[in-house]
Amino acid sequence: MPPTQFRARVTDNRSLTGGYFVLTMQSEGAGSAPLGAVTPGQFVMLRPEAWDRDLLNPRAFSVLDAYPDGTFSVLLKAYGRGTTAMKAMHPGDAMTVTGPLGQGFGPTTADGPTQLLVAGGVGLPPLHLQARRAAAAGLGHKLQMLYGGRDADDLVLLDDLKAWGVDTRLATEDGSVGDKGFVTVALARRIEQAQAEGEAIEILSCGPTPMLRAVRTLALDRGVTAWLCLEEQMACGFGVCLGCAVPVYGEKPYRYCCTDGPVFDAREVRWS
Amino acid sequence: MSAPRPTASIAPEDVDLSAPFGPLRLPHPVMTASGCFAYGQQFAHFFDVSQLSGISTKGISPSPRMGNPLPRICETASGMINSIGLENVGCDAFLSDKLPWLAELGVSVWVNFFGEDMASYVECARRLDAGRDKGIDVLEMNISCPNIKKGGIEFGTVPAVAKELTRRCVEATQVPIVVKLSPNVSDVVAMAQAVAEGGAMGVSLINTITAMAIDVRTRKPRVATTYGGLSGPAIKPVALRMVHQVHRALPDLPICGMGGIMTGEDALEFIMAGARSLQVGTANFAEPIAGVRVRDELRTLMAELGIRTLEEVVGCVQPLEPEPTWHTEPPT
Repeated sequence: MPPTQFRARVTDNRSLTGGYFVLTMQSEGAGSAPLGAVTPGQFVMLRPEAWDRDLLNPRAFSVLDAYPDGTFSVLLKAYGRGTTAMKAMHPGDAMTVTGPLGQGFGPTTADGPTQLLVAGGVGLPPLHLQARRAAAAGLGHKLQMLYGGRDADDLVLLDDLKAWGVDTRLATEDGSVGDKGFVTVALARRIEQAQAEGEAIEILSCGPTPMLRAVRTLALDRGVTAWLCLEEQMACGFGVCLGCAVPVYGEKPYRYCCTDGPVFDAREVRWS
Repeated sequence: MSAPRPTASIAPEDVDLSAPFGPLRLPHPVMTASGCFAYGQQFAHFFDVSQLSGISTKGISPSPRMGNPLPRICETASGMINSIGLENVGCDAFLSDKLPWLAELGVSVWVNFFGEDMASYVECARRLDAGRDKGIDVLEMNISCPNIKKGGIEFGTVPAVAKELTRRCVEATQVPIVVKLSPNVSDVVAMAQAVAEGGAMGVSLINTITAMAIDVRTRKPRVATTYGGLSGPAIKPVALRMVHQVHRALPDLPICGMGGIMTGEDALEFIMAGARSLQVGTANFAEPIAGVRVRDELRTLMAELGIRTLEEVVGCVQPLEPEPTWHTEPPT
């Protein structure tokens, strides 16, 4: 589905723990669901109309969920001026939306490998959506979520995963819930177990870049296929500004997070 | 004395937006700017690109370039800094893969180009001349990109060098050359004068302004090359001032004005400062159809103000006080 630019209205702004919030929007226009066919990992560029010229460019967010009735949601955390302004949005506020953009994760399949979803921080949405889709297709048993954060408050939307019956392993840096330490420690153990038992696995991961670097190193070391959903600064989101270059191995030194990604094969990404 | 300002509004359909620009007859003044529209195809998802009067392509060099390391962009107050590094497909791939699609649109195709030294500028102009009968209307010579280390900052800052470079490129092609000038100079009029003497058909004003932003937490610059080019509404007042200065000094030299144009009112400001055509740049990132909206808003605003043609208002701005004698430095 090619991207379009459309207007949406905020219908809900729900605060979660840890400063996270879920912004739900409804696209304008009867029967219009521009994001209806979104795949996990695809993203939208969001720009509140109220920004005028002060905050110039839209911000990129992975889609948390999208429905055929035109509603869709994103998970945010207030970091900079843009997300802080979005945290103060109310139902009825207008948003300019561009999307769906980028290439998402491959689907969960009945005869494919078990998918290990490795999430950290605001990297949850694409993996949350992957789990939702798999569960809806009766394939919840084909994936496992490994979800890490600083502390218990940093882990959100756990009820959804529970309701879908998705096996979820938590890790926190302070040990307040789940395993103490980085989620990649749990991932290393899980890979070891799978390889001992001859279980076919692949990794789908999204989160802070240091976490993705660790996931990549682990996957390359252990010979496991890993798909990384990356985040880069971007002004447009559709392949024009060339701001979001990703260093890669191959013919050209860079590919683009917005159009070639944001999901990349870990083997392709050229990180030292 | 100029005619008194008309006050009676007219119907929008009575506004004639046609924009003569040197030998070109543009249906309206609003184009899109180099580096902000790629080679155009991505925008066809969003709107009918042929509604623009023209497109200035991503800057083309004789050979492909891969661009700068990351981070390449950051946002600043009402603007953004970029350091993309003139990444482009190169002359040959442009002519074979990109130009045919652009030529089909029927818009004015301005091919922005540059080289790393004088010889490669001339080579680029000569090779692009092959597209003269295949849709290229203008070669927009970039002598001002801050994101190229090799080659000369002097192309964009030393009038005699810019004149010689222009002269040699004009000799290498029959396509009219418009020179995109750098704002990073103390006397933009001298630069415009020099390239006009070198044979430029017109000038584009302005390119990005050399700029910097710092992340105080990491104590590092926000773009990998330390300095980048500032664009967006933040630079509009500077751009207007330069368009006005050049128009005052060289009223017959066609000026394509740009720098933070987001609305029809911004566009009319540039026209009143002396621009005969316009380019919308950074606005395309947030809003792909920005150029067409600007055109529509310009028409509505001109109707409201009773302006029938661009010619009535190009460079019409009148000083509030007797003409200031300073050009680049404010009075102390």
